[in-house]
Formats: sequence, structure tokens, C-alpha cells
Amino acid sequence: MNTDVLIIGSGVAAAALASRLLQDDPQRDILIIEAGTRVKMQDQALWDDFMVSGNAYAKLPYYKYNDLAYPERDAPGENRNVGATVVPLAGARVMTYGGSTIHWGGWSFRLKAEDFRLKSNTGQGADWPLDYAELEPYYHQAECYIGVSGDSSDQDPPRSADYPFPAFPYTLEDQPAHQAMTALGMSTAHVPIARHGSTDTTSRHAPCKTTGTCKYCPFGARYAAPNYLNDMLDWGNFPNLRVLDNCVVEEVLMASKQRASGVACLDKMSGQRLTIDASTVIVAGGAIESPKLLLRSRSAYWPNGVGNDHDLVGRYFITHPYFIFTATVDDNPQRLQPEMDFPTLCSRYFDSPQEQAKGKFILINPPSTYTSLVNGKTLSIAQMMQSGMLRADIDAAVRGPAQVQIHGMLEIPSEYHNRVTNLDIRNRIGLPETIVDYSQSPDFNTRIQEIGDHIAKIFEGMGATPAGPPSISWRADHSACTCRMADNAQDGVIDKHLKLFGVDNLYVCSNAAFPNTGAVNPTLTLTALALRLGEHLAAAARKP
Amino acid sequence: MYQQQVNHPANLGAEPLATEVYEAMYEVFEQISTFWGNLPAPQQYKSRLFVFMDNRIRLHPEYRSIYTQAKHTLDALIAEVGKAQAYKTLFTDPAANQSPPETPLALARQKVSNEFIAFQVSQGGFKAFTGAVNYLSYIAGAFIPGEPAPYRTTQESPR
Repeated sequence: MNTDVLIIGSGVAAAALASRLLQDDPQRDILIIEAGTRVKMQDQALWDDFMVSGNAYAKLPYYKYNDLAYPERDAPGENRNVGATVVPLAGARVMTYGGSTIHWGGWSFRLKAEDFRLKSNTGQGADWPLDYAELEPYYHQAECYIGVSGDSSDQDPPRSADYPFPAFPYTLEDQPAHQAMTALGMSTAHVPIARHGSTDTTSRHAPCKTTGTCKYCPFGARYAAPNYLNDMLDWGNFPNLRVLDNCVVEEVLMASKQRASGVACLDKMSGQRLTIDASTVIVAGGAIESPKLLLRSRSAYWPNGVGNDHDLVGRYFITHPYFIFTATVDDNPQRLQPEMDFPTLCSRYFDSPQEQAKGKFILINPPSTYTSLVNGKTLSIAQMMQSGMLRADIDAAVRGPAQVQIHGMLEIPSEYHNRVTNLDIRNRIGLPETIVDYSQSPDFNTRIQEIGDHIAKIFEGMGATPAGPPSISWRADHSACTCRMADNAQDGVIDKHLKLFGVDNLYVCSNAAFPNTGAVNPTLTLTALALRLGEHLAAAARKP
Repeated sequence: MYQQQVNHPANLGAEPLATEVYEAMYEVFEQISTFWGNLPAPQQYKSRLFVFMDNRIRLHPEYRSIYTQAKHTLDALIAEVGKAQAYKTLFTDPAANQSPPETPLALARQKVSNEFIAFQVSQGGFKAFTGAVNYLSYIAGAFIPGEPAPYRTTQESPR
């Protein structure tokens, strides 16, 4: 089997990159290889199953394609955590056709200009080998590609064109937090969110119907790569686009030190071991699988794994710690209840150059805030009825005590000693399990305390009483930096065009490419990088 | 946009659910609306309820017998204590919410009435309690600039 462009992984990077290449040449020969399988999308019966569960994640049809939890005494589990900080993989990613966009929240923030100069500004982490201005046009393309609804008047960071869809107005549940933040002088903003809006142009993507079951959208309004891949395959008239799912890539094969010849892989359905030749190989398997594939691609040319002569592949592993501060209000006279499943209010006030040295962070008013508390337990309306509460009791409960929360993410600079590597055991998908080695820095708890002091003031303004210490999750949802971009091979694995140093036709297009992550979700930036790479490769193909 | 529908192979060739079972299950739905007084004119949701039931059977063929068994359970309970008390027992008996269900009543509570409550609330049954316009699982509609948002916003007073 052979192809022109081989893309390993089928998430947003693969879908956006393929889309951009096919825009330039609909005949382009592209093969996407995915280790996972396909999940039925937009299925009414599956949606009903999710809905009656009260939106329980474990009832989602793709839940079984998550990592298992780490091994414990009575459960074999998957993967190994060997660092001082537990970074869970379970729940962080989905190993399936379409990748983790099948479950993501769709928060679509841009990085800010200072994020591209972290090392220069603070001495920590690394700079990007490109700046915000260079990526800005691709950010706009990415927002159009994944269908972002956002506030075009928000010029922090500056933007050259409007969002494709207007921002969703703040919910009424946002009002107390909004007023408290404003009174404290903390600027607020609309959360840019990958939900299609209404359009007067022909679109295969339905607008968001605010149904509140975003983990399994019945309309496909939230961007999910499987929907876009299906559209390209079923409707795109791209005769040479192929997707091979249930196929695990074992290694990248090298024809010489400077040139990849293709990959060796295992077709799980037939049990056959395949060799696929390719002119260009793009590793788009996420920040965990991408470096693991390079590390196990050992040859006489690259004895430590392709691209790993400087022992940088898999290093600098990082994710965002996600914090949840909880408080209670004694009464809820407006009967506020969650009406949406995505947030509309955020603050990037602390996502600023002034905070960069200590760690920038964003604050989110989550859509789950103002959930009624009944005997200390949060209950939805349906749960109150199901528990047998009478009408008068429910009426009283929705005006009574409620739980409120402020969520957020903190930027952490990447460090050399934190890494991911292969474990010589296969998981249920057929991929090698992962060894995660991460230890948080000593000053992390101090920074969380500072954040807590700010949030305590917000709660005070909301008339809410804090309910204990925050919940902090190091779950690897935003894992990144494991094959980072740099100006030279001593500082990074790939160059500014995502090409491996020392190899002419091998690229890494994933969050692994990031030198740092800023304080925001990485997916929009990854999409921009994928579209930029697509343009780069399309231009190269046009050259005689 | 296209809607897919899974169908469990055990459903192939199976007899359709009896009409009287559909009607009995609609009565459960109707009684939910009566008991909590939260959804006027429930008959307009009858066909949607039947589609919901069909979807449950498509994915989980055992719902064919669960719905049939629930009808028998409720018929017996109504004959014993009367309709109003029978449904009050179904909706509020704490023992019937013990999981896993070990009695016919518990099966009817957990697999029928509790699921119908989730469905009923998703059809608008939440509004009577909160004054909210939207709810997780309710299809409120698209946000169209210039039109009222399909949820309560900071721009308006609670309705």
C-alpha cells in the first residue's frame, strides 16, 4: 500500500490538515490511519440513553475508548504514573476515530502575544519560533473551520477579522459572578466556543440548539472531527482520501537518516502487518502517542528513536492543572438553574503579561453553577422528581441553598525532567501503554493559594460562602510540549513548520509541537497550526 | 445533518410492543404530569414518548419486557389501592428506588417512571419549577441575533 500524504491519527489536526490539502487539490492522495474504531454520532437512541442517565459520562458511547485508571490493588488498570504528581490519563482523551474532539468542550481561546515569548519574558520554559502576528491569520481560518461563536469586539488578543458566529449572550446564572468580577475590577469576556451559529449560507453543520448534552450533540453542532471526516468521505468528492481505522502504527520506517519511507502497522481487523509507503508522513497522534511513536521508531539511522538524538522526544511533558473552587449560597430567589452545557462567561484578567512569571490563569463561570442543594447534595429537577420529592418541596428547594463554583486553568512552564515514554504492554486499543513521569514544581501550592485569595473575593461579592479547599485535577486533557518546536535541534524536536529536525519529510502536528501552552485550551491553536502546515505542504506541492 | 438509529440484532423479527402496553406507558407519563403539575397538555407529547420507548427498545431489547411487565405491575397495584395511590406509591416509595431493582415495582420505578421523568423534564417539565427557559436535554433552539436567546440571559429579568 502506498500514499502521497500519510497522517497518523484522526483528530482535529488530521481533519483540518486534510481539509486544507484537499481544498488546494481535491485529487490529493491522503491516507489517515487511526488506531481506534468508529463511534455512531448523532444517533437518537444513543442520545436518549445519555439523556436519561442525567448526562453521565460513563453512558457515552465512546466512554469505553478512554484510558482505564492507573492500576490499583484490586484493578489492573492501564498505564503507569511514576512521578510525584498523579497525572490521570483516564478521561483525558478518547482513542477513537475523530480523536478527543469527540468529547471536548469546544472552548476556543487564542494564545496571547506574550505566550509566544515565555522564555524571553520570564526565563522559564521556551519561546515559540514564531510570533502571534504570524499565526493570527491561521487563528481566523481555524475559527471558521471549527465554527466558533465569539465576541468580535474583544481585541485581547487583537484579531484581524470577525468570528464566523456572534457570541452567545451571558446566561442569567452568570450575573452574580459577572457583577462580582466587575466590582473587583476584573475584566470579563465571552467564552469563544466551537458551536455553530445560524448562517444564511449553505452549511452541512447544524447550528447549536442549546440542548445541553454537548458530550453527545444530537445535531453535530459542536465541532467533532468524526463528523467532519464523515462529511469529507461521504460528500466531499475527494476520490483519493481514505481512512484506515483499527490500525495501529508500530513505527515510522526510514529510507535514510533524512527520509522516512512510510510506516509499519498492524491492521487489527485482519491481523495483518502492513507496510505503507508514503512521500510525506505526518504524526498527528496527540501529545502522548506522537512522541511514543517516534521513540519506538528505532533504526540504524536513529538508534534512540527518530528525531531523538538530543533526548528531547517525550520530554517537557505538561498539562494544565484545572482547579474548581466551590461555595454555597443560602438562598436562590431568582431560581437560577443550569440552562446550558457550555460556559458563556470567563475572565482573562489574570491571563496577562504581569502574571506570566508566576503563572497566568483564566477563570470560568461554569454552566453547572447554581445547582440546588438538597440535604447537602446537588440535585437537578429531574433528580428531585426521581427521588420522590413532592411539588412543594421541589419549589422550596429551587429557591433554597445552591452550589456555585468558579473553575479555571493555570499555566505551568514545561520542564525537561517531565516526560512520557512507552510501556511494553498493550492497552485495549492495541497501543503501547504509557509511562507518565511528572512532578509539579514546589511553588505550585503557593500559586494556587494566591488564586484562591482572588476567588474568595469573587465569592464574597456573590454572597457565597466558600466550601473548603479547591479540587485540583492534573488530568492530561491539555497535555503538550513533548515534541516541541524550536529554532534548532538542540532546543526542540521540530522546526517552525512542524518538520522534524534532520528529516526532510516527517512532521509532527499535535499539541506535542507547542513550546508552551499559555493558560488556555490548546485546540484552536493546534487547528491553526494544522491549517498552516496544510498551506505549507500545499504550496510545496504546487512547485514544479 | 442526518440522524442515525442503532438497532440491536435481538430486535430483528421481534413482535412489536402491544398497543395496550404503549397506552399504559402513556398513562404513566400522563400521571407524572398530573402528580407534579408541571407539564400542561401532556397528550401532545404522546408520539414523542412512543418514539422514546422505541429507541430504548432499539438499544436495549429487554425494554420490550420491562414495559410489558410494568403494565402488569401497575394493573395489579391499581386494582389493589386505586389509581391515585398506585401512582403515588410508584413515584415516591423510597424502597422502589433501591438499586438494583429486586421487586416488580422497583423495576417499574427505575426503568420506566424515572426514565419517563427525565424525558418529561426534557420536553419542558422543568419550566414550572424554575421559570427557566432552558434545561440540560431540552431542545430550546438556536441563538439567532436579534431574537430572544433560547435561555435566560443577564439582559432580562427572570420569567
